Amino acid sequence: MTTSRAINKIENLIPQRPPIVMVDEVLAVEGDVCTCRLTIRQDNFFMEPDGMIAEPGVIEHIAQSASAFAGLRAVEAGATEPPVGYIGEVKNFHLVRRPRAGEELTTMITMGPEVQGVTIISGTTCVSGEVIAETQMKIFVRED
Amino acid sequence: MRVRRGYCRDPNEDFCSRGLAMLLENKFFRITDRKLDNDMRGVFHVQIISDCEVYKGHFPGDPVCPGVCNMETIKECASLMVGRQLRYESIRQCRLTALATPVVCPEVDVTVSLTEKDGTLQIQGQIADGEQTYMTLKGVVK
Repeated sequence: MTTSRAINKIENLIPQRPPIVMVDEVLAVEGDVCTCRLTIRQDNFFMEPDGMIAEPGVIEHIAQSASAFAGLRAVEAGATEPPVGYIGEVKNFHLVRRPRAGEELTTMITMGPEVQGVTIISGTTCVSGEVIAETQMKIFVRED
Repeated sequence: MRVRRGYCRDPNEDFCSRGLAMLLENKFFRITDRKLDNDMRGVFHVQIISDCEVYKGHFPGDPVCPGVCNMETIKECASLMVGRQLRYESIRQCRLTALATPVVCPEVDVTVSLTEKDGTLQIQGQIADGEQTYMTLKGVVK
């Protein structure tokens, strides 16, 4: 499955709403790999006075990228509401540097299999091809 | 690596957070009490601010404390403890062991300890109340 830009509005894919929307769009999906984009705006919830966002903002961006991927799969399977997922665990998060206002983050999410409602994902975030952060996460999806 | 001492000599005196611009203190959480063993270990009693704007979006009509805000809270408490802005360099493991909301846990204890090891500053944090533990975190700050 390959997906191109503007396939779906982000509000249809993730349950988060402003001020804590940390993904702008899904760029591409191929198999178990999804690429998402976020442009860091000055009014970002995690923006600090030095013009860069706080480190947990990067983790939230990676989590929401995974959430958008799960949302896309759910919508394609016929869901009307995006699934609500929670971070269960963050493992081996490494940050090279904090992204600054105006920079475009491109994050590649690799989704592992779901086991009893828990999915292990890995995410790598780049700015202009340079890796700035990577992490693994366990995500729980709440079934309503 | 040397840890710069805090601004306050007595760790239980009022914090002088001069020069420390905290992202979430007094926005997402408010420190109401603290007990510091020294400037490397302490417990902060914290109120979760239920009308923080983050809950407009996380999630509409269903406020849940974002896990990443709890991670930031641990780091900000550690920063206030040492008197300088700390940053996460890595997080080896952060477990979110229970769902935290401003209703479920309006007040929590944030326990933070820092250890100098192999030239890095290691952080361990926990967020809990009398009922349960919401988060445990192990990482490296600088």
